[in-house]
Amino acid sequence: MSRALTWGPLLAWALLAVLPALPFMSKFYLLLAFDALLFGAIAMSLDLLMGYTGLVSFGHAAFFGLGAYATAVLLERGIVSLWLCLPFAALVVGLYALVVSYFSTARRGIYFALLTLIFAEVVFTFFRYTQTFGGSDGIQGVPSPRLAPGFAIDTPMRNYYLVLVYLGLAYLVCRVLVTSHFGRVLVAIRENEDRARFLGYNVQRYKMAVCMISALLTGLGGALYPGRSAFATPDLMLWTVSGEFIIMVMIGGLGTLAGPVIGGAFFVVLQEKVSSYVDWYFIVIGLVLVFIVLFMPKGLLGIRDLLGGRRWRATA
Amino acid sequence: MDYVVAVLLPQLLHGLVFGAALGLLALGLTVIFGLLGVMNFAHGELYMLGAYAGIAVIGLTHSFWAALVVAPLAVGAIGAVTEVTTLRPLYRREPLYALILTFGLALVFREGARQIWGGDMRRILPPFSGSTPLLGMTYPNYRLFLLAASSVLLLAIWLFFTKTRAGILVRAAVQDAEMLDGLGVNVPRVFTLTFAGSAALAALAGLLLAPIFTVYPQMGVEMILLAFIVVILGGMGSMGGSVVAAVVIGLAQSLLTLWMNPQRVAIAIFALMIVVLIVRPRGFFGREGVLE
Amino acid sequence: MKRVTWGFTVLIAIATFVWVTAPAVSQPKVVKIGDLGSKVGVFEGYGKYQTWGIQMAVEELNAKGGVLGHKLEVISEDDETKPAPAVRKAEKLILQDDVKLLVGAVSSGATLAVMDVTKKHKTIHWNSVSCAEFMRTTKFHKYYFSNQPDSRMQANGLAKYIVDKMGKKVYIFYTDYAMGQSDGRQFKTALEKLGGEVVGVAGAPLDTKDFSPWFGAINQSNPDVLFVAFAGTDSLRLMTQLHSFGMTKKYKMAGIDCFLLQQDLPSIAEPMEGFVQLNHFSPYNPDANMQAYNARFKKKFGTDANIAAGSYDAVLFWAAAVEKAKSFDSDKVAEAHEGMCVDNTHIGRQCIRKDDHQVIMDMHLYQVKGGKNLPIARIAGNDSIGEAMVGKDPVEGFTWEIKKK
Repeated sequence: MSRALTWGPLLAWALLAVLPALPFMSKFYLLLAFDALLFGAIAMSLDLLMGYTGLVSFGHAAFFGLGAYATAVLLERGIVSLWLCLPFAALVVGLYALVVSYFSTARRGIYFALLTLIFAEVVFTFFRYTQTFGGSDGIQGVPSPRLAPGFAIDTPMRNYYLVLVYLGLAYLVCRVLVTSHFGRVLVAIRENEDRARFLGYNVQRYKMAVCMISALLTGLGGALYPGRSAFATPDLMLWTVSGEFIIMVMIGGLGTLAGPVIGGAFFVVLQEKVSSYVDWYFIVIGLVLVFIVLFMPKGLLGIRDLLGGRRWRATA
Repeated sequence: MDYVVAVLLPQLLHGLVFGAALGLLALGLTVIFGLLGVMNFAHGELYMLGAYAGIAVIGLTHSFWAALVVAPLAVGAIGAVTEVTTLRPLYRREPLYALILTFGLALVFREGARQIWGGDMRRILPPFSGSTPLLGMTYPNYRLFLLAASSVLLLAIWLFFTKTRAGILVRAAVQDAEMLDGLGVNVPRVFTLTFAGSAALAALAGLLLAPIFTVYPQMGVEMILLAFIVVILGGMGSMGGSVVAAVVIGLAQSLLTLWMNPQRVAIAIFALMIVVLIVRPRGFFGREGVLE
Repeated sequence: MKRVTWGFTVLIAIATFVWVTAPAVSQPKVVKIGDLGSKVGVFEGYGKYQTWGIQMAVEELNAKGGVLGHKLEVISEDDETKPAPAVRKAEKLILQDDVKLLVGAVSSGATLAVMDVTKKHKTIHWNSVSCAEFMRTTKFHKYYFSNQPDSRMQANGLAKYIVDKMGKKVYIFYTDYAMGQSDGRQFKTALEKLGGEVVGVAGAPLDTKDFSPWFGAINQSNPDVLFVAFAGTDSLRLMTQLHSFGMTKKYKMAGIDCFLLQQDLPSIAEPMEGFVQLNHFSPYNPDANMQAYNARFKKKFGTDANIAAGSYDAVLFWAAAVEKAKSFDSDKVAEAHEGMCVDNTHIGRQCIRKDDHQVIMDMHLYQVKGGKNLPIARIAGNDSIGEAMVGKDPVEGFTWEIKKK
């Protein structure tokens, strides 16, 4: 693996920073770009879990949605400072992630996928049926958050730059993590959990740590969402949304960090454009996923040295 | 006493009826997991396709009974083709891939069904109407039939797995496929046929429940989560477990609705699931070591 | 190797983005109307007819030269019956397609969410289908107009008939989201005010598969009338199941206006026999205006119209307002709407009330007989519309508690 920061990502980030200057970047496209980068960043944080540690989370939508709700609840009550909303969201998501990661990482295999799925369903069901949080319609019409009195993030342009900063920071965090000793242990766990355990690493603790980091990054992304949409709804937490995050990672390429960002952006833009013309859009996505899994598990920029075949059986 | 008769007993009956059908659905799922190590996210869509196949057959033959025979066969065939073309290449790889692949398949099936039959809700009329005075209310005959049919089917499947050579072969494959391969059995064929059988079961469940729940493309998405819960509760890979768990869940859902907000019922069920997964991941009758 | 991959990927990404966002060629003298609604799922039927209603109006207007010399074009988007996609599509319609009129949505939850968007971007917003009570009260904004009787209007119109002619003891069964809760609240309030007794209330989640778990409680409370506030496919399922348990014969049944579309009635005629609703339109109403509209609709689309086709009126009202204001400017058009009357709507002459931008519509009580919605009584618009409560909370002081007698 290469150094913490190559010029490639830096250039890409710089290009994204000047994107709004292009002539056709209307408000609508800025919002689309916002979504693309936000979900790209979330896919990237999921990649930490999926690509580097080998844990598939079917509950990431809950981290995202919780972050969104936490912020929306504050915004609704007039607490609009971003410096308060973000830490609060981090706290809420962190607590939830602590519980989920503790229990989900206890055993091996698809246990993690199933538990994250069910925890997420609990969260979804809770928000969907609790009227205090708006029930199935969620929290609507919240005001925009602000960085400082007088400087609210209330235009697509400002939202875009906010998410760009978030993406940059998230990427840095992931990059540093992945190129450090911690990251190498994660890969070791992915390759052979038992061996890592025999080497003396407290596997569960590593899994918990990466799960929480991934969850926090996703939750912070979620916290930025109400600023753009003015709402938080339970639908953000459907398990099918978690599935979409997984698709983004797969399209972009497991274990590359940058790949999922592109995968996420690609997914969002494609969905927006294509679904206006054809309504069998999901067949395409499903087929693309099947195709990628079968023939291109590396996605657009995948791991070169994916594990070869080994049938997984946990029984002795 | 009046309460018991007018409210409690009917709820029990609802729970049994639903639980029995859920058992059919979960059975297929658990066998596939036990055999292939794959949690089939597309199982709900196979359930859905069963109902739509039923609609197609009824459209041609006007016979529910014909549909009951043809639809599972058709969906079973779809299952077999799917397994051979998409899942078989993945057995050598991490199960994570099969999981994701089935998710993709689910999308294709769901949207495909919507394109072919439209997003409107469709009805399948029960093959006979009328109701029987039972337990203080008039209980629809079709639901009674559903309970009976599901029970008979489950019994038949149990007999299949315990008394027939093919059934025993499948069980052996679930235990130890490599050994079976060593004995000269065509293991890939067993896999394919079992997958087809699982699909057929799901289709049957879908068709049997259709006259009550109606038919629409999303119907699989709603059932799959419940099916997962049943499979986990009963023990992944344990067939008896999934049937027992299905009945338990069916009854729990039905009875809890009496005392809790229906929304809280869902949370209660999930909470139960989490507790089980934490304390006893193997469920009622699961094999030790599958997840431990 | 890594640099090349990186650079290449970034290039591809940008190229894709540019290709995908390239602006379409714009045509001169065309004005766009946004049609937002459920095109799939539980409310697909309503969304479809909303689109048709709009299309018919647009064609008729275009045949006469359009509006202020501009041709009209309809852009339809699916909101998936959820607030989040509804907001995104609304933003797309307003910011990208630059629609001058947004009609929608179908689901109350979606409409309420979209109202924030139309308020923010100052777009004329017509609602012809959703009926939660917040839209002309707490959520109201000056660009919003409606020709759909909300739950308060329906309660005003129907409750009296229920209490007088059907039975005093009513059980309210509703779908547990914005619309159903709204109907539940308004009908409970109205029924109790008129001397009826609400013996029980229960809500079932949207998209409930099996309603039978609730039937025990309904039977136990022994009502005269079972009032149901559901819509779309849920209604179909509910009636089928109620019928299979013999409850449609045991209780008198009444429900909200959008409970079932006329199109679905024949397939479910027997369970629905005797069902009473309040509605502003039925193809079986001998009223001359409705028949004329229905004939035109049927000729064009091959099937009878239904209440969702009231979106036709929305376009007519807007077009008239634009002509009056001689401009497409939202503020001017909004002002021109107030008090506007139009003659050739789907039910004849209608006027918009200034206070809360609600159309005053005469309605009818209908009873289903032999699979058809036949009128049994007329309710004047002014009787049902209720007082304007802009900015006031329509559910203040409301409680779901059952008052035991």
